[in-house]
Amino acid sequence: MLTLQTWTVQALFIFLSTESLGELLDPCGYINPESPVVQLGSNFTAVCVLKEKCMDYFHVNANYIFWKTNHATVPHEQYTVINRTASSVTFTDISLLNIQLTCNIRTFGQIDQNVYGIRIISGLPPEKPKNLSCIVKEGEKMTCQWDPGRETYLETNFTLKSEWATEKFDDCKTKRDNPTSCTVDYSPVYFVNIEVWVEAENALGKVASDHINFDPVDKVKPFPPHNLSVSNSEELSSILKLTWINSSIKSFMKLKYDIQYRTKDASTWSQIPPEDTASTRSSFTVQDLKPFTEYVFRIRCMKEDGKGFWSDWSAEESGITYEDRPSKAPSFWYKMEPSHTHGCRPVQLIWKTLPPFEANGKILDYEVTLKRWKSHLQNYTVNDTKLTVNLTNDHYIATLTARNLVGKSDASVLPIPAYDFQGNLAESKCYLITVTPVYDNGPGSPQSIKAYLKQAPPSKGPTVRTKKVGKNEAVLEWDQLPVDVQNGFIRNYTIFYKTNIGNETAVNVDSSHTEYTLSSLTSDTLYMVRMAAYTDEGGMDGPEFTFTTPKFAQGEIEAIVVPVCLAFLLTTLLGVLFCFNKRDLIKKHIWPNVPDPSKSHIAQWSPHTPPRHNFNSKDQMYSDGNFTDVSVVEIEANDKKPFPEDLKSLDLFKKEKISTEGHSSGIGGSSCMSSSRPSISSSDENESAQNTSSTVQYSTVVHSGYRHQVPSVQVFSRSESTQPLLDSEERPEELQLVDNVDGSDVILPRQQYFKQNCSQHETSPDVSQFERSKQVSSVNDEDFVRLKQQQISDHISQSYGSGQMKMFQEVSAADAFGPGTEGQVERFETVGMEAVIDEGMPKSYLPQTVRRGGYMPQ
Amino acid sequence: MRAQLPRRVLLSLVLRLLFLKPVVTGSCSGDDQELLKQLQRQTDFMQDTSRLLDPYMHAQGLDVPGLKEHCQEHPGVFPRENALHGLSRRGFLQTLNAKLGHVLHRLTILQQDLPKVQLTVKRYIYGIRNNIYCLAQLLPGSSETAEPTQAGTEDSPPPPPASDTFQRKLQGCQFLRGYHRFMHSVGQVFHKWRESPSRSRRHSPHRALRKGAYRMQPSMRGKRLMPRGQLPQ
Repeated sequence: MLTLQTWTVQALFIFLSTESLGELLDPCGYINPESPVVQLGSNFTAVCVLKEKCMDYFHVNANYIFWKTNHATVPHEQYTVINRTASSVTFTDISLLNIQLTCNIRTFGQIDQNVYGIRIISGLPPEKPKNLSCIVKEGEKMTCQWDPGRETYLETNFTLKSEWATEKFDDCKTKRDNPTSCTVDYSPVYFVNIEVWVEAENALGKVASDHINFDPVDKVKPFPPHNLSVSNSEELSSILKLTWINSSIKSFMKLKYDIQYRTKDASTWSQIPPEDTASTRSSFTVQDLKPFTEYVFRIRCMKEDGKGFWSDWSAEESGITYEDRPSKAPSFWYKMEPSHTHGCRPVQLIWKTLPPFEANGKILDYEVTLKRWKSHLQNYTVNDTKLTVNLTNDHYIATLTARNLVGKSDASVLPIPAYDFQGNLAESKCYLITVTPVYDNGPGSPQSIKAYLKQAPPSKGPTVRTKKVGKNEAVLEWDQLPVDVQNGFIRNYTIFYKTNIGNETAVNVDSSHTEYTLSSLTSDTLYMVRMAAYTDEGGMDGPEFTFTTPKFAQGEIEAIVVPVCLAFLLTTLLGVLFCFNKRDLIKKHIWPNVPDPSKSHIAQWSPHTPPRHNFNSKDQMYSDGNFTDVSVVEIEANDKKPFPEDLKSLDLFKKEKISTEGHSSGIGGSSCMSSSRPSISSSDENESAQNTSSTVQYSTVVHSGYRHQVPSVQVFSRSESTQPLLDSEERPEELQLVDNVDGSDVILPRQQYFKQNCSQHETSPDVSQFERSKQVSSVNDEDFVRLKQQQISDHISQSYGSGQMKMFQEVSAADAFGPGTEGQVERFETVGMEAVIDEGMPKSYLPQTVRRGGYMPQ
Repeated sequence: MRAQLPRRVLLSLVLRLLFLKPVVTGSCSGDDQELLKQLQRQTDFMQDTSRLLDPYMHAQGLDVPGLKEHCQEHPGVFPRENALHGLSRRGFLQTLNAKLGHVLHRLTILQQDLPKVQLTVKRYIYGIRNNIYCLAQLLPGSSETAEPTQAGTEDSPPPPPASDTFQRKLQGCQFLRGYHRFMHSVGQVFHKWRESPSRSRRHSPHRALRKGAYRMQPSMRGKRLMPRGQLPQ
């Protein structure tokens, strides 16, 4: 109870004291703004407002206000009296970070009274954070760090923000002591892109960094491989096998590794080529190591594609490669002991231990062998590095090998000369003198030299031979003389060569050469050559050798023959070409064209001419056989010109045809060309058709269609030849008889030939029509029609000057529809219809007398 | 405090995903191959039975001979692989999204049995659905069309929760086995997509879009179009 009263009294006292103090500390005015934060370099204005009560009490107004910063009075130039109670002060380009600003009044009696005070804090707004990066340490949560930018001098908060496309995660706020990194609260989810950025904010502003978007699996820093172990192989002394256990991150991503190693005493690391460890694995064999050497290894890993971070290095682990046989024999030498009994001498053999890189293992012992010339052999196995033996005064060969667990080294050989070797040196014998220095720590490198007690000329000269012989030069070669026959140092060689009749020439050659080229030789000449070798004491000639230089140099003959042959071939070729071009001229002058009677033809047909002709060659046979050419003149059937004019131009027309259109055939040939004009056959002379009665007309003027037009009626072909007639031609009766017997379906051989030549026409529709008509009527009917046509043609041909083609057609049609048998009438109807269809097409005329079954010669 | 924060986040994720209104915040990768690669890695991760089934069987005492054999997939809960291959791309993604929603729901029920494991798996499932959303955005007309889950209509509903404790454990085991198998099948589909990104006519986005639009006619009656930016479901 007493305690309660005491507490109550104390509380009341405190309350009253506070109240009274508040009255006493009631400021006389205030400054606006009260807690300013100003950007460095900017302007700042503060206003002090006095209270009326205070003004009355102190009898002051705003003019009495003066400002102080950090206890220093601000110049009055920066003041501005706003009104009776308020005065402001302005600061330009604030540079101080922390300013204490007070508003004061000077009261009566020059007493300064502080009215109010504030603290101006200045700084800078945050810069945009840069270099934002994140790391996901395995087993930990994601940590991001960034460069905050310049110092702001203000309290700046950094917030790490992160989100998925569909989700936003909690902000990560930095701690005051580490404002440049932040670790998020959630565990990373791999294989989902996350967007991360940083926002920096202080009293002067807020700014965000660039956003980064990544898959956390690409930012992983895995645990290093653990349980690294190193094992060697007895089979290979140059390898060590590393094995380790990968971290559990292996289930999320493939790994690559970085393996480094060094020898135990080395300070620098060697690295396994990265391409050898670029895939997930749990072991690796390091090759090309030194035998029996201790190596230290360490390993780290990271994501296979290089995204992310290397893990820390694993704990170092060491291993020793297996032993290998010593790679080098130990050097050794001997010492002669000073005291020795008669016929016996003590010799101490000494050697050094091999360094580790040559021993390739632990040296178990050394094996020493002593051989006295080729007979006696003594073996010693020594663990020490020296051996003392008693030897006779003979010459010995000592060998030494080092042995380890794997094998023995190569042998080191040391000759131990006989005790009195100095009296047996021979003259003109080559000796190899070797001097080996012996130092305190072992033998030095030996030096050797060849020497002769006394030289002599060689006992044999060198044998020279040719290596290559040319037209004007020869390459000589020889072998070095064997040491046994040199008898001294060979100083030089001399080559002697000469021809049969010439003087001998000598050439000196240095002893180091084994080849020499003789030049300026004469071609096709026999040379004799010999060679001598010289020591300081004289020389010795070798055997003589002969060779003959060739007449021509290599390729010289070819250089002459080939161009000549080529020129000949070219000339021949040009001649052939010339003859080929002028073959017609040559043929005309040398072997003119003589007709082959066996290849004569009755007629040839235009491809468009109907093949159904019954020729009677005998009718066309003439006794005069002087004609060699047959010309066929084709005249347009619908030509309106009168016939005399045509005849006038016939000669020119004929000649033109021979040279251009080729409508004329040769001997025994006939026109089988496509033409819309009827053809006229004539001889070379300007004669009418009737005037060719002296010739045998084998040609038929064919009225064929022009350019696929089908001729309607048959025309004639005429040939003039002196060739003998065929049997069938001589006996037309037989032909006629056969024709009559077999009817129209039987085609005589000659007719077959015609059909072959003019088979194209058989496919013509008109021909088909013609064929159908022929089937209806008899062969006699067909012949009758032909007879009528020929009669008409004959008639017209006899009156060339008065007829026209039109009239010719009319007459032909009228005669064709003339009276006759019933069958003939049907035939005429068919032909007449054909004539009607072919109206306007060229018609033919028959200049020859026609009998049944063929044409008759005129 | 640290434990509560992810729980709150997860709850938010579950609610948003289950109610089909995910909030689109960050930007998706525009590289469909990268998304497919990520999805395939996720399915590889999820088809591993050591993620869920094995811990569950161990925790429930089901990993003993005689009981293991009873932990077989209940047919019809998850679509078969051939059914998944038969879907259009959009239909497949919608089916996968829906099934993962079911899995999330079921994992919430199993949370007591697998408190730590299910949390990690759930986060990965959210990640898969995030990638599904991003991949769906790359399909033509993603903001205008919605196709009902094709395979989902063929599935039979999961069996009702058993009252018997052992049966409930067995159901959970069967469900998880089916889930791992389903993720394997999903991985196969994504593998096929990666092999033939646009050559496959069946999975051509344009063709899938046409097919989806064609199929949508009868099935979209009475259904609203999804707002822009939402996951196609």
